[in-house]
Amino acid sequence: MSGTARTIPSADPLEQLPGDLMMWVLIVSELLVFGAGLAAFLSVRITDPAGFAAAQDHLHRAAAGINTVVLVTSGFLAALAVRARCGGRRGRTRLLLAAAALLGTVFLVVKGWEFSDAFAAGLSTETHPFFTFYFLLTGFHFAHVVAGIVILALIGWKDSPHSLEVGTAFWHMVDLVWVILFPVLYLLR
Amino acid sequence: MPRDPLLRAWTALIVLCLGSTAIAVAVGSGLSKTALTAAGAVILTLSWLKARLILNAYLGLAAAPFWRKGFEITLALYALLLLGLYLSPAI
Repeated sequence: MSGTARTIPSADPLEQLPGDLMMWVLIVSELLVFGAGLAAFLSVRITDPAGFAAAQDHLHRAAAGINTVVLVTSGFLAALAVRARCGGRRGRTRLLLAAAALLGTVFLVVKGWEFSDAFAAGLSTETHPFFTFYFLLTGFHFAHVVAGIVILALIGWKDSPHSLEVGTAFWHMVDLVWVILFPVLYLLR
Repeated sequence: MPRDPLLRAWTALIVLCLGSTAIAVAVGSGLSKTALTAAGAVILTLSWLKARLILNAYLGLAAAPFWRKGFEITLALYALLLLGLYLSPAI
């Protein structure tokens, strides 16, 4: 993956694909699910743009912005871990994975606070279609972050270069989904 | 910009994230409807650039030209779909 990115490309497309084919099948499947959800969100928004904008004002844009930086940095540390493992530096690899997982946990804490604040304000999936999509999409993403942290812990334990490539690919997918989800839900007016 | 491709990608991602948030803050401080829509289009464009960076640098597609091209075309079409849906109420 990112740690082995500077090799000469093979002529066979399947051999070019970094990491594991099945992980890419999973990544594409997840992207399709989130992609469809965001497209549906913007489609429903067409019927009530003012209502969606008013609902969006209840969200914490600054917290979500901080979480974007946190997740992007976590992905960077995971990519560095793959590079370190390819260079045979196992101690540094585990340290970088632990730091990536820690930032993932920070993301969960901030998002958890956002959720609890929304629930305390009486917001739920029934409040407005905006919040139906908001809770479903960010809740589903939250579950993926939890799964990603577990995977980071597992590949820190069983740290073969192949496991690291596959495991961190999942983490980057979580990152990729968030950088599209964040502006669509929190920033578009 | 840093020479290390990973560090360069991370730096660019942080700059793009801050750019999106800065635009959103400007939107919050009150803009005309046209400026608001234009700001949204810019925010979507920035998120498309962020997604490309993650695919190419973090997920390693920079080293797989065949797959990179496929993902970039699909991602660009998807970004256009989101942009079209976003702009629909304004038309």
